Amino acid sequence: MNTVEVSELSKWFGPKVAVSEVTIGFGPGVTGLLGPNGAGKTTLMRVIAGLQVPSQGMVSVMGRDPRVDPSIYRSMTLVPEDEAIYEHLTGRQFIELSARLAGIADPKDRAREVLEIVGLTDAADRALGGYSKGMRQRAKVASALVPDPEVLLLDEPLNGADPVQRAQLIRLFKELGAAGRTVIVSSHVLREVERMADRVIAMVDGRLAAVGSVATIRAAMTDKPRQVFVECSNPRALASELIGTSNVLGVQVNDGLLMIEAADAREVAMQLPRLAVAHDISISRVEPADESLESVFRYLVEGR
Amino acid sequence: MVLTMHLYRRLMQRSRVYWLILLASMPGLIFGIAGIDLAPDDLSEAFIGIMLSVGFTYAIAALILTVSTLRDERDAGTLPYLYMRPIPRWSFALSSLLAGIFAAGTIAVGGWVATVLAGLIHGADMAVVIPGAALLLAAAVGYAAIFVPVGYLFSRSVLVGLGYLILVELALSGLVSGLAQLSIWRIAASIYVDLVDTTGLPIDEALGAVAPGIGGGLAKLGVVLVLGLGVLTWALQKRDAL
Repeated sequence: MNTVEVSELSKWFGPKVAVSEVTIGFGPGVTGLLGPNGAGKTTLMRVIAGLQVPSQGMVSVMGRDPRVDPSIYRSMTLVPEDEAIYEHLTGRQFIELSARLAGIADPKDRAREVLEIVGLTDAADRALGGYSKGMRQRAKVASALVPDPEVLLLDEPLNGADPVQRAQLIRLFKELGAAGRTVIVSSHVLREVERMADRVIAMVDGRLAAVGSVATIRAAMTDKPRQVFVECSNPRALASELIGTSNVLGVQVNDGLLMIEAADAREVAMQLPRLAVAHDISISRVEPADESLESVFRYLVEGR
Repeated sequence: MVLTMHLYRRLMQRSRVYWLILLASMPGLIFGIAGIDLAPDDLSEAFIGIMLSVGFTYAIAALILTVSTLRDERDAGTLPYLYMRPIPRWSFALSSLLAGIFAAGTIAVGGWVATVLAGLIHGADMAVVIPGAALLLAAAVGYAAIFVPVGYLFSRSVLVGLGYLILVELALSGLVSGLAQLSIWRIAASIYVDLVDTTGLPIDEALGAVAPGIGGGLAKLGVVLVLGLGVLTWALQKRDAL
């Protein structure tokens, strides 16, 4: 069941088309939104959030149009990409302001809770202007958590966070997703998206390039040969045996590592033990080389 | 009121507020200096006039301050923290207008105090003090109702506001009688003139087609306020917030 529905959505600014005819649904769990700079991720998030008006198409969040019905903001929040924040306020004042504007019955109590969730309790009474980038990000996340939203939009929420903070935020987002919240995260750090997202949406030039898990998207790229690295005792001998088979499109030996380009990686997996036994080659490692999100994403961007 | 107080505090934090209060106080300061050479009879007439002229410099000060009510939030990128809240758009617009009115009212008080002090120093007739306050507060309401929506809609909002002040308030409304009804200064002045004895003074001519009268002035201000509220509500619903 989708909580966010985007239908035939386009958004343009004068002659520049930022988002073009996007139709997609988002349900509970963490969805990663990927794309190079200018791909339209931020615009898509802003339109879903109701901050920008669609030029064409429609957005529905839990059955309501955010532009028409502001009560949806009891259930949807956004962590904006901009670093902007009220520098003169302390962390606690900022969160209490968010709670008061959200109509929370006990803003002080709620502020205390969310500051603890993001680990800012100790810094709560310092001015936001003195926060590091990572602390600001956490303060923005805390503000977004105030109404305990069903739908959480996070635009580059890990920017500026140190590795420990990143790990904490990723764990928090995964917990929210596991608890049935719809969490949409845009990030350019592919490894982190891979760690937290159940589903990935790739955008290129304002359009959807691919949707699904990383493995599903990769499997659908039948025009791209699969690359497999093999570490073994005699890579040249193994290469010469493999090159004669119909499944293998090419081989390369570099620094004792054999790289195989094959039409079907599963068939390679079946061929390797047979050849190793027949030619007395010991294989120590077999690893797919291009099934990371980074490789898949590179293919998507380069393929357009 | 949470939103109103937040926006008001943000407007009043800026150091420019002191400069704007100084700008609004200019007529009072000028009266304080020029009044030294005036005869007692001329002093009272000049005091009635100078209180009215507060509106000219005050209009610029109110423009610069009130266009910032939502424009500062948009430009700084902090508007999503306010916009994405479960607040009906008309209520959001009303809160913004009230913040603008309170901020404009604050600098109006500064201008008024300076003028009253100058009058006290020279022993001028204090009968115009209360009407003067009414004039400035009416102007605060009117200018905020126009300039808060202008600030939200236009990135070069100060220029757009100056265009209104120069074209409509100064130039056209003196030439085209129908446009005089759109002049906030004339509407506010019509309230002032109704409360002050201006016999023998050329003030009525400055009002043009706008008849003196508290009731009419307040009614026109009400219309301007409702229009401002309507335009801002529409803009919040129909225009990009970022």
